[in-house]
Amino acid sequence: MSAATAAGASVPARSLRVRVASGLEVLAPFVIALLAGAVVLTATGRDALGFYRLLLEQAFGSRLAIANTLVAATPLLFTGLATAIAFRAGVFNIGVEGSLYLGAFAAAWVGFTLTTLPGIPLVLLALGAAAASGALWSLPPALLRARLGVDEVVTTLMLNYVAILLTSYLVNAHFLAPGVANSMSPLIADQAKLPSLFPPSQLTVGFPVALLAALAYHLLFRGTTVGYELRMVGLNPRFAAAAGIGLAGTILVAMLGSGLLGGLAGGFQILGVNYRFIDRFSPGYGFTGIAVALLGRNTAVGMVLAALFFGALANGGTMIQLFSNIPLDLINLLQGVVMIFAVVDLGRLTLARRVAGHG
Amino acid sequence: MAETLLGILAAAAPATTAILLAAMGGAINLQAGIVNIGLDGLMLAGAFVAVLVAAQSGSSGLGVLAAAIAAGVIGWLFSLTITRLDANQIIAGLGLNLAIVGLIGYLLPIEFGVQGTYLPAGLKGLPSLRIPVVDALPGIGPILSGHDPLTYLSWLSVPIAAFVLCRTTWGIALRATGADEEAARAAGIPTRRWRDLSTVAAGVFAGLAGAQLSLGVVTLFNKNMTGGRGFIALAAFYFGGGRPWPTAAAAALFGVFEAAAAQFGSTGLAPQLVQMLPYLVVVIALALVGWRRAWAGQRRARLMLAAGSSSDETAP
Repeated sequence: MSAATAAGASVPARSLRVRVASGLEVLAPFVIALLAGAVVLTATGRDALGFYRLLLEQAFGSRLAIANTLVAATPLLFTGLATAIAFRAGVFNIGVEGSLYLGAFAAAWVGFTLTTLPGIPLVLLALGAAAASGALWSLPPALLRARLGVDEVVTTLMLNYVAILLTSYLVNAHFLAPGVANSMSPLIADQAKLPSLFPPSQLTVGFPVALLAALAYHLLFRGTTVGYELRMVGLNPRFAAAAGIGLAGTILVAMLGSGLLGGLAGGFQILGVNYRFIDRFSPGYGFTGIAVALLGRNTAVGMVLAALFFGALANGGTMIQLFSNIPLDLINLLQGVVMIFAVVDLGRLTLARRVAGHG
Repeated sequence: MAETLLGILAAAAPATTAILLAAMGGAINLQAGIVNIGLDGLMLAGAFVAVLVAAQSGSSGLGVLAAAIAAGVIGWLFSLTITRLDANQIIAGLGLNLAIVGLIGYLLPIEFGVQGTYLPAGLKGLPSLRIPVVDALPGIGPILSGHDPLTYLSWLSVPIAAFVLCRTTWGIALRATGADEEAARAAGIPTRRWRDLSTVAAGVFAGLAGAQLSLGVVTLFNKNMTGGRGFIALAAFYFGGGRPWPTAAAAALFGVFEAAAAQFGSTGLAPQLVQMLPYLVVVIALALVGWRRAWAGQRRARLMLAAGSSSDETAP
């Protein structure tokens, strides 16, 4: 689909003007979203500039604030990478949210069931289970697309809701924590909880691992055959097939990799932040991942920055909600606007297109 | 047992309405070549506007009208990003849902001083209409009669949509746009206008669906009140391939699932497993279609091989 290929294309570094124009294009969705938020804030009698200043302060104002922003960015970087690896191969996987739920449930289950295992094996087993379940969840739509040509957009979207309902069923019907009214599983064993790197924040090894995953993603597309094949299939499937690249296999790799990273997102969230599975716990990490991939233009560095942006919004927004009456929902509005304008061809509205020499 | 079944069906009729209306809008949109993922958000916007206007004006009819207009306008703006600015329709649709949920979630506490649920004083819901004679029929009376006007409208919308799409020049222009935009444009059809119009229609239908939720099923607004029905509608029109009658059949089936889930909920059976069915049905249906297509393709290839070469190796 067009977003995947457009976002996968590299930016030609021809002249300063071109670079400025494409830089503006990358920044435009952020700016438009912040403007839209400012309009809504002002229209409802709130001080927009003050809100953004407060947001910045709450997200980056102290070392603890920065740590909390990194915590919020961690699942988004994983889901962003998960989405991008599929996008790059021309596979429009919007089912990362489903993989995240399955991965989270698997990690929690290992954590509260195999409680006799010592720390490191238990953590590794839980994360392995998370990655495997996430990948497994993406297998049916992957096979349907690769073998039967079934459009993955609708199947992956639908399977998200199946995953949310399935885990909801599991936790409510079979794994409810004793003495807890809300739909939660028991807590995971203490030795399965990832230690904080910067107390009292919940910054764990999850964030560095997400960064490593971004590095691996970068290297995958820079210097490996698999990455080359994924990219070729995404850019031009017919040419790739003619060049002897197996389409079905490449699509499977992309989808399984996507599901695996989605599952890990869920696993780290459980072991590092929630310590138990909670029914419908995700505020849409998987969907925010789509925004991260789009804004990061499927590049590793871009996605790290985009994940930090959304992490900062989520963390700063949560803090502001605690002591002012501006609801966190505003962040959803910003994110929705970002998504729309990340896929809009702004060149049709501005001069950027002509400057960049596209039309 | 029979009584339980009739009870489920009587509950399924109003439970189907919002899904059916939104699915009909999505079907029209799909026929013009747009997969509308934003139905859920449009529905929520409709539900919200319906309650606002109905409370202000004291008329539920005006509330319904305002919901249709508001969601139609949002649908039009959404369409412009796709048809004029080349936005990817899936991402733009997901973004639209998020933006609407965010905006309404923001406005509720800020402007109306409530968390989640908004119940303005003096809000009156839609009346329920009893059809004479039918109402008194034993068994099927409660299934066919005693519903809000939008439920009857949703039933009427199916033959109307089928007629317009299949039998009018408008419908043909719209379907031509969806079938092959380039060819349709070459034939002089203003394809972008038709795609915009179909998305406006989808918005209007989704707005009506939302109004039925907030003024028909219950009489209040809640920010989670669509309960993913926009996506169930998506499942229905995808299942029906954008054709009105199969889409309506799927919507009705999903309405029965929803009513059954509510019924089972009170008996201790897990409602989540029933709620899962619409989504699973679509995945399975798409898999079957793909499998049949692949199988037919293979057979054709085999036949062509057999016809083209004299060797028998490739014959089954």
